[in-house]
Amino acid sequence: MRRIACFLPVPLLALSALVLLSFAASASPDPVAPIRIGVLAPLSGPFAAGGSAFTQAVTLAVEQANAEGGVLGRPVEFLVADTQGRVEIARSEALRLTSREKVFALVGAYLSEETVGVIEVAAASRSVLIVPVAATDEITDHVRRAYDRYRYVFRVGYSIPQWAGMMAEFLGRQGVSRYAFVGTAIRWNRELAGELRKALAPKRIAPVYEAFYSPRNPALEPVAVAVMAGAPEIVVLGDPGGSSAEFVKRVREGGATFPILSVGGTLGDARVAATLPLSAPLYVQAASWKGASGEATRYAEAFERRYGYMPVGYSDALPYDAVMLLLSAIRDAGRTDSDAVVTALENGTFPGVAGTYRFDASHQAAWGTPELHGTVIRWEPGGARIVSPAAPGGMNPAGVEPRPP
Amino acid sequence: MIPFAQVILDGLFTGATYALMAAGLALILGVVKVVNLSHGAFFSLGAYVAYVLSTKGVSNPAAAVLLACVIAFAFGVFLGKSFINPVRSHPFSVAVGSLGFAILFEQAAQMLWGPHPVSIGSGPPWGELSGVVVRRWGAVSLLASAGILGGLALFLSSRWGLPLKLISEEEEVAGSVGIDVEKIRVLTFGFASATAAAAGALLAPATSITPTMGRVPLILSLIVVIASGMENVLTIFLLAVGLGLLSNISAYLLAPQWSYVSLLTVISLLLLLRPAGLSATDPGRDY
Repeated sequence: MRRIACFLPVPLLALSALVLLSFAASASPDPVAPIRIGVLAPLSGPFAAGGSAFTQAVTLAVEQANAEGGVLGRPVEFLVADTQGRVEIARSEALRLTSREKVFALVGAYLSEETVGVIEVAAASRSVLIVPVAATDEITDHVRRAYDRYRYVFRVGYSIPQWAGMMAEFLGRQGVSRYAFVGTAIRWNRELAGELRKALAPKRIAPVYEAFYSPRNPALEPVAVAVMAGAPEIVVLGDPGGSSAEFVKRVREGGATFPILSVGGTLGDARVAATLPLSAPLYVQAASWKGASGEATRYAEAFERRYGYMPVGYSDALPYDAVMLLLSAIRDAGRTDSDAVVTALENGTFPGVAGTYRFDASHQAAWGTPELHGTVIRWEPGGARIVSPAAPGGMNPAGVEPRPP
Repeated sequence: MIPFAQVILDGLFTGATYALMAAGLALILGVVKVVNLSHGAFFSLGAYVAYVLSTKGVSNPAAAVLLACVIAFAFGVFLGKSFINPVRSHPFSVAVGSLGFAILFEQAAQMLWGPHPVSIGSGPPWGELSGVVVRRWGAVSLLASAGILGGLALFLSSRWGLPLKLISEEEEVAGSVGIDVEKIRVLTFGFASATAAAAGALLAPATSITPTMGRVPLILSLIVVIASGMENVLTIFLLAVGLGLLSNISAYLLAPQWSYVSLLTVISLLLLLRPAGLSATDPGRDY
């Protein structure tokens, strides 16, 4: 018994040494271990189309970064979590990615509601969160109001007021005075309609009809009839989903000749646009489009080569830029330390496919500036033509310098 | 355009699309006596068949309907024989299993054609009647639903339809007089699936095609069948058209969101007043 007691400390000491060694190993990162990024996107459910394009673009960005030698000599790895478009799943998946999978940063989520839940996880775990598409003001309001807690959150995509501002610029240039807004009965569409009304009021452009249909039973025929009865000079279509294509078919069947400006999504898809009647102008807003700049063209061609279709330039281009911008910031910081990367993001300028990103005090990318302004295209029988910014070589009325093709 | 007249005509067309789907569902509920939640998946299948044909340069709706019917009939018979018949005495198992099949189909469609909406050219409207536009695919769905439901009513009233009526009313008696009940149930399931696919193929040009596009028509047609009862084909058609009118008029006069609310409110009231359905001979409550 005494002999056993005598030998007992030896394995105990060995075990302690092992535990200490493992702690030491986890404290200093392996210099060649991959940099892990968690991606939150809806891959199933009603928003799967957007989520699929989102992850395709992230895949492209990571493949490109690894082909160029990775970041700080380390490969980049990403883990995708399916949020299903549901707030509670987005939050629990963000928690799993940060706590169990030990990702360094998060990119996502897709919907505003989901993202508002995810920023709490990012703040608690002090993980950098890059928001590519969710547009509600609530996200950057958190950073503005409680900087110390939410300083890890940055939005690459446009906020709703910025979106409305860019739309208002375009509508102003069309010389219209009456418009109609049609969208789905979701928070984001209602907020966009409200902001657009505010942005257009100084230009004396007023809505003659506003409607938000239920995605369960859109009742598009009576909406189309009511829009036509309002006699608008242009219709803003806030629905990025499949019903937008149906709406275009309904109004054109009815003989309407007013132009339609879509927020993008389904109507930015060349395969869908090819089946729509183009008897009157159909405009689509996008963050980036092939031909808008050299970078945008390179990205669109790489995307088409990889996936066999042209990107819509929003739910794909912004996640692509989000990943590229995050990796650039890690390079600038020189290490995978959240606070150092936050400082790099706050102080740097980052070229992307949609333009050059710079963040304001609320960590919102500065959209609506000459460096970052988005694109409007018009579908024509032969394909898309960029109508905003104006054709290269001239200044458009908004004073935005067009980018070379 | 005369707005209110246009809304009325479009409401008729909308109701006809509900009726198209409801025809097959009513047959399954009446003869097989199960709630089939995979019916919407067959609608989507028909739409994808039309889409695939259009990408191959075949834009003839008759070809799409024919091919969709053949594929859906084969799938329906397989599903009816391998799953529905063996478990049909357990209604919850049928409901969960058929829902599982629908989800399986949605996933398969997503893998084959992607989650993005796809579309087919819809062509110009058929014409204009005193300032009211006759939408091509609305008119097609009205004619098709009248044709399918009319054909079904004729079939059920003929001697060929007797076995179905007998199975629907007295299954044990049907078996005792030598009718192959199981075979007729399986064939009915296959036929009903084919009508849903035909509806999907016909309406594909009017809509955008997604893996989950069958969910909304399934719910609306299920509502129509339950509220009308399965006994009378004409009641199904009239109720479907009535609900289509209500949906469109409330969306036009109130707001689009009211369309679904008003529809569900009226159905709830109908079920409260006549729980066995509009066409039931005894409107008394079951409890």
